[in-house]
Amino acid sequence: MDEQRVVKVHLENISKSFASRKMIFEAVNHVTIDVYKNEFLVLLGPGQCGKTVLLNMVSGLETPTEGKVEFIDSDATDLGFVFQKTAVFPWKTVMENVEMPLELKGVPKAERRERAQYLIDLVGLNGFENSLPKQLSGGMKQRVGIARAYCNNPQVLLMDEPFGALDAQTRYQMEEEILRIWEQEKRTVIFVTNNIEEAVYLADRIIVLSACPATVKEVYDIALPRPRDYVDTEFLRIREAIEANTDLAL
Amino acid sequence: MKKNQIKTRDMLLSALSILGLIAVWFLVSNSKPDFFPTPMATIERLIRLIEKPVMKISILGHVLASLKRVVLALIAAIILGVGIGLFMGWNKKVRAAINPILMALRPIPPIAWIPLIILLFGIGEFPKVLLVFIGAFFPIVMNTMSGVALVEDMYLKVGKIYKANTAQMLRHVVFPAAMPAILAGIKIAISSGWMVVVAAEMLSSKSGLGFLINRGRDSYDVALIMVAMILIGVVGALLSAVFTLIERKLCGWMSKE
Ligand SMILES: Nc1ncnc2c1ncn2[C@@H]1O[C@H](COP(=O)(O)OP(=O)(O)OP(=O)(O)O)[C@@H](O)[C@H]1O
Ligand SMILES: [Mg+2]
Repeated sequence: MDEQRVVKVHLENISKSFASRKMIFEAVNHVTIDVYKNEFLVLLGPGQCGKTVLLNMVSGLETPTEGKVEFIDSDATDLGFVFQKTAVFPWKTVMENVEMPLELKGVPKAERRERAQYLIDLVGLNGFENSLPKQLSGGMKQRVGIARAYCNNPQVLLMDEPFGALDAQTRYQMEEEILRIWEQEKRTVIFVTNNIEEAVYLADRIIVLSACPATVKEVYDIALPRPRDYVDTEFLRIREAIEANTDLAL
Repeated sequence: MKKNQIKTRDMLLSALSILGLIAVWFLVSNSKPDFFPTPMATIERLIRLIEKPVMKISILGHVLASLKRVVLALIAAIILGVGIGLFMGWNKKVRAAINPILMALRPIPPIAWIPLIILLFGIGEFPKVLLVFIGAFFPIVMNTMSGVALVEDMYLKVGKIYKANTAQMLRHVVFPAAMPAILAGIKIAISSGWMVVVAAEMLSSKSGLGFLINRGRDSYDVALIMVAMILIGVVGALLSAVFTLIERKLCGWMSKE
């Protein structure tokens, strides 16, 4: 990593506050982060600390009240986004969901189907192309979400607690899967979670956020080789070190 | 019990309750058959009606005349109701501008419009279709509006992330998401339209099921009234059964919870 840390996304001192009738609510407070090309960056923070708001500012769904988000030398501004709750469209089949980003761009059917099929195979949903989301399990729906996020070939992928709603078993499985997919299709990933174990398992780098308003509290480089082992002594040491240093109510 | 057995059982129960209703009718009418026709007399009247048309229109012709008015009005109500409802749900300013008008007009029952519409448009086909339209339009526009306004924010965000333009947003996200609400509105519109058409025909018409009821009243032909009433019930039930099939086809993606 160290030899070629090229900055891909630069968050310059961004803040976000919401004005309600009586008061101003600060959700994110002066956050500066450099996201490096093709790194797996995990933003780790307690519940309700402003993680989603922060990610939404990166994606452009919300504008910072202060500071700015820069995509550096990015030829394409396309993003992939995996949502906290499964935001897979229930009225579209797996295939139609995955190809949607390309369909919106006007890519011809044959071409976008080919790309979508490649991604459906990659996330292990082959055979389910024509299934509707109601026929899929929670884990499978999130796989659809991941395939869709990859579809328009984005440089940067944002994932907002994608496995938060899954049971422990499925969650472990999906963590393994997302790394396999990322190894095969290297992209810059910003992954949000409130689960320390998940963060240590996945991350090249963990940025710990404070409770509301979110600020950068601590940065950890995780140099453990992959595949990682949840009960490996070094893994546990890092996990405990982060635990001791943060106030994640877990 | 297996699924099939349950289905057979339910169908038997339905058949029994219909038979029960006919039995009650039979008992009640048997005491005063001159005044209130028995089921047999009603069936005889139906057969006579098939053999000898009223106003030179066969019984099927009368059913179709009523259906035609409802279908024409429904098509207009769907086009206008879904269109206006979509705009109102999508754009808060449009909603603020149009909603008060709808709120003021909606509580006026279609029947209350009859005198005004007869004075303005006479007693041809158009005023009848217009009345049915009034009955069908409001449920469609209201349901479409709330269906569109209540589309989950998350789905809209997906559209925004992938840079959907307004037309794409409506086509891929808003319209399908609102579809169950729209169809529920149309379903209400069908039954309300079917009721209104009969009322409109009773006031001024030379064809249709409402006309047959009127004709029965004018000639003390109670059996004819019964025949027309039963047909209204049966056709109305068929309409809603057919629509349920369409609904299932279009919204099969909805999960059952
Ligand atoms: N549009 C908004 N208007 C007002 N307040 C908001 C808005 N969006 C978010 N907030 C507030 O900002 C805070 C942080 O929200 P956010 O969703 O970013 O938290 P989070 O860390 O993602 O939480 P979770 O772990 O539950 O996903 C919350 O208290 C929320 O109520
Ligand atoms: Mg969140």
